Amino acid sequence: MDKLEQNRRLKLGAAAGLALLLAACSEKASIDPSRQLGSNPELPKAQDFLVPPMQVPEGVGWKGDARPQVVSGLRIEKIASGLLHPRQLLVLPNGDVLVVEANGPGEEAVTTPKQLIAGMVKGRSGKSGKGGNRVTLLRKKAGSTGEWEQHVYIEHLHSPFGIQLVGDTLYVANTGNIMKYRYVPGETKMSDPGVELGDLPSTVNHHWTKALLASPDGKKLYVGSGSNSNITENGLEVEYRRAAVLEVDAATGASRVFASGIRNPTGLQWEPQSGKLWAIANERDEIGADLVPDYLTSVREKGFYGWPYSYYGQHVDHRVKPQRPDLVKTAIKPDYALGSHVAALGLLFYTGTGLPAQYRGGAFVAEHGSWDRTPLSGYQVVYVPFENGMPKGQAQPVVTGFYSADEKQLYGAPVGMAQDAAGALLIADDVGNVVWRVTSAGQ
Amino acid sequence: MTAAHPSPRYSFATAIFGLLDPIPFGFFVATLMFDIIYANSANVLWIKGASWLVSIGLVFAIIPQLINLYAVWFSKYRVRMRGDVANFWLNVVGIVAAIINAFVHSRDAYATMPDALWLSFVTVVAMSIGRIILSGRNVTYKEINHGQA
Repeated sequence: MDKLEQNRRLKLGAAAGLALLLAACSEKASIDPSRQLGSNPELPKAQDFLVPPMQVPEGVGWKGDARPQVVSGLRIEKIASGLLHPRQLLVLPNGDVLVVEANGPGEEAVTTPKQLIAGMVKGRSGKSGKGGNRVTLLRKKAGSTGEWEQHVYIEHLHSPFGIQLVGDTLYVANTGNIMKYRYVPGETKMSDPGVELGDLPSTVNHHWTKALLASPDGKKLYVGSGSNSNITENGLEVEYRRAAVLEVDAATGASRVFASGIRNPTGLQWEPQSGKLWAIANERDEIGADLVPDYLTSVREKGFYGWPYSYYGQHVDHRVKPQRPDLVKTAIKPDYALGSHVAALGLLFYTGTGLPAQYRGGAFVAEHGSWDRTPLSGYQVVYVPFENGMPKGQAQPVVTGFYSADEKQLYGAPVGMAQDAAGALLIADDVGNVVWRVTSAGQ
Repeated sequence: MTAAHPSPRYSFATAIFGLLDPIPFGFFVATLMFDIIYANSANVLWIKGASWLVSIGLVFAIIPQLINLYAVWFSKYRVRMRGDVANFWLNVVGIVAAIINAFVHSRDAYATMPDALWLSFVTVVAMSIGRIILSGRNVTYKEINHGQA
């Protein structure tokens, strides 16, 4: 009898323990997103979870004439649809627009049971839709409104993302190399088969996007190379030339690490007033719904921005072994927080005059949207005002309405952006498979 | 697990139980070993291996644990022997710890430590004690039925 009593107590204890532990899993965001915007985001204490916060709306696309909402004073139209995971845009001098259609190469080996399950959950959102591995050229139909002409421009690429034009040389950054093509204005199909300029880190490809930006003189190319893990769970060996901005010599293809410790740098851009290099970054997951804010930052040569050892300056991440206090001491605090898990994937310093005055001089940021947070965050395009080459003031949502009010369905998700010949803002949407064009309402 | 007075149906369950029951224990011992190596080396190979071991061990545990549950509490043929109930509850503790442990092993890199190590230890110790209690009983069985076991 005694033994039974004891066993019963054991069982109760175990059940209570399990309940407590599981309760600790369903952590909702508790910090108002507005307090994680700007130069001094509020950072709660890091947590470890049994099951990290996870919320993924089901990708359904845009039905009929449905479209994102824009703030008053703006108008949005669809200029291309039916694309294959459009990710990045480049406006050519003659007004044509190149759309890079791609998704991850799907080459990351399944090495833990968690990857099996996470893959299934994230797949629901439509974010893992198959990429076209191609570039499509959009051309405005003369004298007509509605969708633009679509021409398949370059095919058989390998998870391309970054694209740049320098003079008559078109550079396309695949996940594993930079390809170089001779650009002929007016062509609707690239006639040059292209040559490889240089290789890029391409093992594992946990983060596969390679953002690309040419220097103003065209002699250097800057490449955003994302980390090969969330937080070194694939080992430090596979992080060589990862979580870094690489500088590639355009003449030889030789490259070096320009800045490091940026977990997943994309949206490389020159800030027009200061001429400095800026990037957006996706920060680490699974230490809380309100950690760590993704950010927008200037990128200093030889600067170290913390990953993996610390975040937002000197906040040490205990998940990394061995720890590196010597590096943490040197970690630079990013310039501007965009909010936790918003997944910023597009940056555009707006230099045109086509949009109302309040959108001039600052930057648009496209937030692809969260999976590791309840409620959802991101899934919008925001405008960050700049003054004297630095962000000044709160980011304001400009394009929203990418998911349903109950957060169950996902219509689209913004990624790359560009400014077209008329000064309109173009947005690639890789869940809706659409390119949107935002103009002043008056036009 | 009670093996006395087998009916044909019962002996089938006994065979399945005898076949599957040792597997999870082996997996959990291996999990503990891998966790110890990871805790000391921080080489992710070991913690990734451990996360498979604990998950697969749990999958193999489902059928024998259900048979055990039925045999100890519900079978109309049940003749509980000394240690059956204690072994049952020790298995419950071990399996609950292993379930929590599977989730802990889904954390990234060193966030698994030290929780994973302790949970693996609890699972192995609880299931080991259960086995020791039962093996004590088997000795008595052997002694009564000379040479038959």
